[in-house]
Amino acid sequence: MTCECHSHNPDPGPVPAIEVSGLKVSFGGQPVLKGVNMKVPKGSVVALIGPNGSGKTTLLRCLLGLQEPAQGQVKIFGESNLQRVMPRIGYVPQKLALERSFILSVREFLSLRLSQSRNWFWHSRKWSDDALRSTMAEIGVEPLLDRPIAALSGGQLQRVLIAFSLLKAPDLLLLDEPTAGVDSPGEDTFYDLITKVHKHHGMTVVLVSHDLSMVYRHASWVYALNGTICCEGSPEEVMNAESLKQAYGIHVSPYQHHHHVH
Amino acid sequence: MFTEAFMIRAFLAALFLCPLCALLGVFVTARRMSFFSETIAHGALTGVAIGIWMGMTELTIPVIGFGLLVAMAIIWLKENTELMTDTIMALLLAGSISLGIFILSLVKGGYLGQVHSYLFGDILAVEDRDVVVSGILFAVVAVSVFMNLNVLTLISAHEDLAHVCGVNVRRVNYLFVLALTVTVAVSIQLLGIMLVTSLVVIPPAAARNVSCNLRQQIVYSLLIGVIGGLGGIALSYHFNAPCGATIAMSCISLFLLTLVIRLFTRKRNANQPLLPS
Repeated sequence: MTCECHSHNPDPGPVPAIEVSGLKVSFGGQPVLKGVNMKVPKGSVVALIGPNGSGKTTLLRCLLGLQEPAQGQVKIFGESNLQRVMPRIGYVPQKLALERSFILSVREFLSLRLSQSRNWFWHSRKWSDDALRSTMAEIGVEPLLDRPIAALSGGQLQRVLIAFSLLKAPDLLLLDEPTAGVDSPGEDTFYDLITKVHKHHGMTVVLVSHDLSMVYRHASWVYALNGTICCEGSPEEVMNAESLKQAYGIHVSPYQHHHHVH
Repeated sequence: MFTEAFMIRAFLAALFLCPLCALLGVFVTARRMSFFSETIAHGALTGVAIGIWMGMTELTIPVIGFGLLVAMAIIWLKENTELMTDTIMALLLAGSISLGIFILSLVKGGYLGQVHSYLFGDILAVEDRDVVVSGILFAVVAVSVFMNLNVLTLISAHEDLAHVCGVNVRRVNYLFVLALTVTVAVSIQLLGIMLVTSLVVIPPAAARNVSCNLRQQIVYSLLIGVIGGLGGIALSYHFNAPCGATIAMSCISLFLLTLVIRLFTRKRNANQPLLPS
């Protein structure tokens, strides 16, 4: 895939939040990532988009240290030993595949992140209320505290997962398909929340999504992935790039979904 | 009932093993591993067969040994083949039972009583040494589970999320499988190969009926495990029936009771369902 829209990336600074160089991953001889290079500046909100099978999930797993690359390197905050930077990363997975028989409540789930050394089983309600208060107020999960996680709607679960990741004040927030299974008004509320959280905490945010339309309103920089970073730039530039249309097929028309660009 | 030494031994073993199975069961059911414990339990038949064939008097060691072998085989096949987990378990279940039966067929008579007690559980088979082993196992596993409750809960919710939170997921998974395998293998003497999984699955399922959060599920599961276990031993003595069956029956009775409680309370709180439809 030729690069047609590589714009001048805002200076990533001396130590970028994420630096990926020459990353290659194959499954069963089939290359999935064919040499990915990217530098994400600290404090930015970037989107990583690509159609299904483009390697988004594999790249995300490499960033989280869950997938060993065949070649290349991932550095987060300049550190290549990802285990060491894990405490600085907040990860919001797509969903929790909880068995319905596992009745973990939101309060218990959030308590898991409060302190690994203290055991949630012995926490009193008051203790967890006090410890969770500021995050609950910010994210608005207070009414959900005593509900089982398995009973939450997609949007509510996303809020809880964000609250979970914010409890350790991360410097990098990685969100995997954050609005999959969330209805349209819920999607807007969700991205407004991300914008608010980003403004307040100033961390680097990476949104991984196959949803082209969402990048318009919420990301300052977009990476389009299809085995390699086939295109990067501001949302407007990326949306109009010919290579992106090729990556997604000819029916791409993001303008149908949103009428205003931030 | 309490004046006879074998009954005291059986009660003590049940007091250690039943809550332990019920505690591990909360995470076993949460992680869809019920069939895993069933496979390990059935693998024990081969352990028993090997022990009898080799003329061993103490069969717990071959039972634990073969159980661990089956557990490792499940994990290895999961990690190194494209097979689905349930296919792997069915394969090993059939493999270990057939191997066990084959080995038993090589033994010249006189083993049926021993096999029967391992298949269905036998309170008379519990010896002093078994009580001590159960006590130590209870202390080690229960304390480890409670000390690592955060980690176990997090892994049960989402393994990748647990990894990002700094948990060594692979190590915890191996240790959990080790604890489950040894607990199931030791419990077989009391509960029998056929029904040992009932004590891993039924108490957490019954507890789920009457719980609003995980803490309640753990506490109720422990209670139901203890009551079901001790009640089952008493029934076994009274009716002279294999205790594996009576313990499973008393646990199922408790499950039905919690189900009735749940249906009754849900009807009253119809506007606030515990789970969405």
